[in-house]
Amino acid sequence: MEIFAQQIFNGLTVGSVYSLVALGLTLVYGILHIPNFAHGALYMMGGYITLTMMTKFGLYYWIAIMISMVIVGLMGVLMERLIFYPLRDAPPIQDKIAAIGILLFLEAFAQFVWGADYQTMPTPYGQVVSVMGLTFTMQRLLIIISTVVVMILLFLFLKKTFIGSAIIAMSQNREGAHLVGINTNKMAMLTFMISGALAAIAASLSSPINLVFPGMGHLVILKAFVIIIIGGMGSIPGAIIGGYILGFAESLGATYISNDYKDIFAFILLVLILTFKPTGLFAKGGHS
Amino acid sequence: MLKLKGVSVQYGAYKAVRNVDIEVGKGEIVVLLGSNGAGKSTVFKTIGGLHKCTEGEIMFEGKRIDQSSPAQIVKTGIVQCAEGRKLFPRMTVYENLMMGAFIHRKQKKEIENTLHEVYELFPILKEKRNDLAGSLSGGQQQMLAIGRALMSKPKLMLLDEPSIGLAPIIVAQMFEVIKQINKTETTILLAEQNANAALHIAHKGYVLENGSIVVEGSSEELFADDNVRKAYLGA
Repeated sequence: MEIFAQQIFNGLTVGSVYSLVALGLTLVYGILHIPNFAHGALYMMGGYITLTMMTKFGLYYWIAIMISMVIVGLMGVLMERLIFYPLRDAPPIQDKIAAIGILLFLEAFAQFVWGADYQTMPTPYGQVVSVMGLTFTMQRLLIIISTVVVMILLFLFLKKTFIGSAIIAMSQNREGAHLVGINTNKMAMLTFMISGALAAIAASLSSPINLVFPGMGHLVILKAFVIIIIGGMGSIPGAIIGGYILGFAESLGATYISNDYKDIFAFILLVLILTFKPTGLFAKGGHS
Repeated sequence: MLKLKGVSVQYGAYKAVRNVDIEVGKGEIVVLLGSNGAGKSTVFKTIGGLHKCTEGEIMFEGKRIDQSSPAQIVKTGIVQCAEGRKLFPRMTVYENLMMGAFIHRKQKKEIENTLHEVYELFPILKEKRNDLAGSLSGGQQQMLAIGRALMSKPKLMLLDEPSIGLAPIIVAQMFEVIKQINKTETTILLAEQNANAALHIAHKGYVLENGSIVVEGSSEELFADDNVRKAYLGA
């Protein structure tokens, strides 16, 4: 029972990071209607920028994260303006190829600036705590709590503010958004900004328990794609719940089946869920 | 109030609208008649800034708007109920209406008042305010599309085929509502295939065929025109 509880806790930690990455991905998908493969590179940049702010500039962990969120958010905006906006009327395959191009470019850039070595991110929350038989580091608890806070803030922004609702409206009907006077260019930039910031916070939270390296976004982004497909492309609740489903499946699978096959569970889940529910768990219903 | 002068719109090699002149006076209901594919929706989308005209100019209250973005055009006071309604299907009726007030988002009190007026005009929207727009019937969706447009407090409202796909009784209600909206000093440009009902409420009209205006005149003149009677009134 204790092992089970421990694995549920670990699942929550891993699922939190996945959900944050998948949320950014699904928000952009809602606006662009293309899978942004470069999102994994934004995640990696988030890790490196936080690390650099802490080690080179000696900034405190949270301040480094804030700066990283702003920089990666702006990188997202730049990506939208320079690459995706000019391709808005091009065939969809070109966006996808461009996204892969950005991913490769940013990885090469990271390797050039920071080298190919694996680096460790220090954290002020390395203490090990034991509560009711559960043993964990404070960093893991921090990941869970921060993710919940970020999700609540995002939810309030999207649901309770005009600008946030405009993002949702635009993802549901772009022409309808034009008709009510929403500036769709600004909304697209804002969405990329939020998406980049989410990737940066996810990477900064998870890096102290993983490592920072140029390819750190690969597996995470692949799994984030699995999550948004499982959850229903463009669905926000789908991204959150999908992230946690995957987190639990991985940590329980690693304990009770085999740790060696940990990374394959995501894809087994994908096959199973798509077999029974091809549109994903939270497929968008309704019609206009 | 609105003036289209020699407007042409071209998609690649295809000219969808040719040299169109339309004038809409303040407080009028003007109808644009034409069959499917005549170019009505293209004219509307061009006024709304969703298409750019390849020739000609569009003036609204003395200012050129043909180079403005859709968002800027809504801010000048032109709002559009497009064909297909273009609602936000997974948002509630209330949320859709609120999005209609996007350009006035800082004026909370005014939004409340306009919402009250829209609910008075369409009581069903108040009743269904927590339902998803995508779950409404066709007639209710059309009411929501008009209600959402009214939330922006427009000076000019473009209605693209509001009666399409609706039951006859709902169509009659819809035209009654359009008359009521016009009484509150909102000018209306209406694109319709249902010529009979449209001409009954309109002050004047234009007939569009293959992208060009072929007949124009007051409603009485159009009712009396033999070609219009044959082609659109079933006489």
